[in-house]
Order: sequence, then C-alpha cells, then structure tokens
Amino acid sequence: MGILRLSHVDVRVPDLDLAAAYYTEVLGLLEVERTATEVYLKCWDETDHHSVKLGYAPRVGLDLISFKVEQDEDLAVLESRIEAYGFPVRRVSHGEALGQGESIRFETPSGQLMELVREVERVGGLLPKVNPPPFPPQGLRGIAPPRIDHVLVTAEEVGEATRFYREVLGFRLTEQLLDGNGHQIGVWLERSHSPHDLAVVTGANGGLHHFAFWLDDWDHVRKAADILAYNGVQIDVGPTRHGITRGNTIYFFDPLGTRNEVFTGGYRPDPDFPTITWTEDNIGRAIFYYEGDLNDRFMKVHT
Amino acid sequence: MGILRLSHVEVRVPDLELATAYYTEVLGLLETGREPERVFLKCWDEHDHHSVILRYAATYGLEHMGFKVEHAADLEELERAVEKDGGRVTRHARGELAPGHGEAIRFDTPTGHRCELVHGMEKVGNLLPRTNPPPRPLGLVGIAPPRLDHVFVTAEDVEEGTRFFRDVLGFRLTEQIVADDGHQLATWLEVSHTPHDIAMVTGPNGGLHHFAFWLDDWNDVRAAADLLAYHGVPIEVGPTRHGATRGYTVYFFDAAGNRNEVFTGGYWVDPDHEPITWTEAEMGRAIFYYEGAVNQRFLTVHS
Repeated sequence: MGILRLSHVDVRVPDLDLAAAYYTEVLGLLEVERTATEVYLKCWDETDHHSVKLGYAPRVGLDLISFKVEQDEDLAVLESRIEAYGFPVRRVSHGEALGQGESIRFETPSGQLMELVREVERVGGLLPKVNPPPFPPQGLRGIAPPRIDHVLVTAEEVGEATRFYREVLGFRLTEQLLDGNGHQIGVWLERSHSPHDLAVVTGANGGLHHFAFWLDDWDHVRKAADILAYNGVQIDVGPTRHGITRGNTIYFFDPLGTRNEVFTGGYRPDPDFPTITWTEDNIGRAIFYYEGDLNDRFMKVHT
Repeated sequence: MGILRLSHVEVRVPDLELATAYYTEVLGLLETGREPERVFLKCWDEHDHHSVILRYAATYGLEHMGFKVEHAADLEELERAVEKDGGRVTRHARGELAPGHGEAIRFDTPTGHRCELVHGMEKVGNLLPRTNPPPRPLGLVGIAPPRLDHVFVTAEDVEEGTRFFRDVLGFRLTEQIVADDGHQLATWLEVSHTPHDIAMVTGPNGGLHHFAFWLDDWNDVRAAADLLAYHGVPIEVGPTRHGATRGYTVYFFDAAGNRNEVFTGGYWVDPDHEPITWTEAEMGRAIFYYEGAVNQRFLTVHS
C-alpha cells in the first residue's frame, strides 16, 4: 500500500547528445527510447521502462521526481489526501507520458514537481527469468549501477516539506539534522526499508541537490571513482562515508552540472525505526564522516 | 501492514554454555537475557530485545521461528487467516513467552514448523546513540553481523508450504527451483523487499536447513571465513556465491550442529517482481554458482 520507491527522475539538459553520451558511456545506463527532445534511460537490473529521463531545455534543472505506488487505488487515496492538504493535483492519462500509464502530478511544499505512478511499462532486466547468472551480462559500459536509489532536494522550509512528505505521502523519518534552535535543516525519508528514498536539505525551493544510483558494495564505489577519474568527470567529494545513512559514496557532476551520486551500504529500517538525530555542530561528520567537514560547493551548488 | 521480516529463531542446543560461547564469541552476538534453560541474543544493530534464542534440549533443531508484524491489528487479521486455512492458533500476551517479548500468536505451518508472529517486542536499542552516531560501534567481538537475515527450512511438500506462506501469510515468491516434472523443489519468499526472508527446500517436515545473518559486503564475508577457520568452526561451503538470490555466502555449523550462514548482496525486490525460475538441471548453479554443484551434505544434513 502506498509509495514503494523512486521510479524516475526527469532532468533538463541543454545538450541532449552530450548528456546522453555521459549517462550511457560513463554512468553506464541503457538507452530505452529516444525522441527528438528526450532520452529515456534505465539501469541494467531495472525492469521498468525508465529511471532517468533527459529532456532538452535551454537551462539545466529538475523537471520532476516520480515515485511508484503499489496498487491502483493508491493513486486515488493519495490524490485526495494531497488535495485535502491544499495542493492541486493533475491527472496524467494513459499514453500522455511515454512508457507509463496513468499518474498524478502535483507541486510539493518544497516546490518540486512530483509524480506518483502505478503502471509502468515493463521492458525487463538484462537477465533471463530462467536460470539467470547472478551478475549482469558482460560488456556493460561505465559504472553500470544496478538501479536508481534516491533523490535529495532543497527546500526553504525543510520542516514544512517534511510534514507534507510524512503526513500526506506516508514517508518515514530515518534521520534528521537539527540546527541550534531545534529546527530541521535536513531530513532523510524512506518508504522502501532503506535509509532514504527522498531527502530534503535547506536551500532554494524547487532545487535538486543530487540523485543517486545504488552500487553493490564499497569495492564497486572504488571502481566507480576509477571510471569517473579516467573520463575526466568532476568529482565533488569521495570516495568517502556518510555519518547519516552510514552509506559509502562519491558525489560528482554530469557534464551539464547536475550532481550525481553513487551510493551503497546503510541499514534496513523497520517502520518503527527510532529516528536518528544529528546536531548542527556535528554537520561535518553527519554528511562526510571521514572528512568531518563540508565543502562549500556541497552546501551551495544545486540545480 | 502484515509481516515485516524475520524477527527471531529459537534453536535447540544440548550444551547451553558451549552454544552461548560460540554465538557470542565467534559469531559475535550480544547476550540480552538468560534463564536456566534459555539464552537470549541479538545482533549489534538490532533494536528489538532478541533475534536468536538458544534453548537447552537433548537434541538440536528449530524450536520455532518468529516473524515481526507491523501493527498489533495484523496479529488478529493473520490469526483469522491461519484459522480459516485450518490452522490452530494460540494467543500470547506481551512478555508471556520470553523476557522482552511482545504480543504474539503461534501456530504450526503445513510444513510442520512452529511459527510465531510477534508485535511490540521491547526495544533495547542498538549499540549506537540516537544522536550523532558513528557508523558502527568499536570493540565488537567475532563476526558481529548487524542483523539476522533469513531462515531456510525443509518441507516434504514444498508446494503446499509455499502456498501457505504466500496465500495465508502474504509472502511473495522471488525464486523457485522447479523439477523436470514441474513441481517445486525449493522456493524463496520475501516480505522485506529482499531476495528472501524464508526459503524452503524438499526434506523432512519440521526441519531447519539453516538460519542466516546479514553482512555488509563480500569483504566481510572473507573476514568471517578467516574468523571461522581461526576458531576451528567447520565450514561447509564457501566463501562462494548463490545463483538464486545472487548473494555471497559462507555455510558453517554451530557447536550443536545447527547450520548457520553469513549472507550479503542480492537485490531489492518490489512486490511486482517477476519470480525467477531455476530448472532442476541447473540446481547446482542455483545453489552454488561458482562450484556449479551441490555437495551431498548440503542436500542431506539438516537439524
């Protein structure tokens, strides 16, 4: 019942060919479909139509964040809850968006366009469903993460956005970063029994801080750093570890300036998981446990 | 709603002191309670009171397996479902079955296993503070897995057992081994979005094949093998990889002869995951992908 996990992230790119080359050859996603202005991508182990959509636009930025819900009736239930909270909801009918069925779209209190979708075209993973090898086919290019993991957005009022995500959309709070006055300046929220599917930090409304792909383990993170460095991709931070989520990570930028992350580790929270709190004086270790310090770029740069 | 994951296993051991020494010093669990005939243990990152109960008995084997439900109301709902299926259910008040235990129901499965569903076990906390926690505690002894992962049982009629866990308890099928004549030889079932919370393979009713602990990654699997060898624990198979679940593994035996496993890897499962099928001819790779064959002990020894 309710939201299962992140379905896809749609980002605007001023150079579609350059972005598509980066996401397929360096990150190692697979191109599923292409139109004159859009490229649809998925990770090798994902079975749904796409998890990243690149859309041509003169400016870089976030188009929308889409979450997958479990059952058909979840759309109607969540639609009425969102409307009761005072936010208008638009129904997107079957066939209006490529590769998926009916969905609902709305703007969140943190200013991002969000979508909830139930029916997504199944294009299948790269492995057979009978006697599959436990690893992907040989010859995948780039980092080749098995799946997308989470998204981190910025909000002027983190506390207000968090209330919406928890009370209306049913996210659960795993960790929070509090300032000296006890106000939330960062929150980590989950639906998929992982440390986070969605996180929010203080910043401009509507902003995207990064979206992240899952890797198998720390060794895969090391290999990702090799591939990023070889291809001249700008690494922001890492390989390192988060205090929050306990994950191992690298942050880097796609050629148009959108921040990406590769992520692994963490824990498996139950719905009764007691929330972890970080205090502002520990913000460095909360974000980058090994460095104990945040770089300026990490705090200020988003799209 | 419904069952969240494996909560605990209770295993019989003929020498309580020896078994406790093994589970605390080699495996690295923490003792949370003790009675003359029972010892209660948990993994370091678990919050609930216990995940392994050792019970003094003349022989070895599985006394019962317990699954955690999300809401107290789930107990009533699942009680009705089990009774409707012809099962006999007993109710147990909070604290009645064990120190720190929650409210619970118990019944026998068609596979001859004592099964418990529990809600509201006492929270004793993991070893980390809830404010500004480091990503792991220092000074842990032994393998020190963060949590219990799954249980694997034997059943005369795997199809009937699978039907019960799917249709009555709400588990989802992730993988199966199907014999040449079309019947299920083994099944893997989940509720926690992992490859399996319980699995069953053809064998005597009521049997325990093994129970498994989660490790962070393949490097931890190697370190576990080092520790097992150092302590003279009989390693059965591994370190190696499963075809089914894609996990990395070592199998070994506790001091009483119950099979243990350490496990990592695998994939994240949505409820709409299409089950993977292994054919009987590929059973070797399904179980041990690198060896491509199952040793006789693995097929015939259980407790």
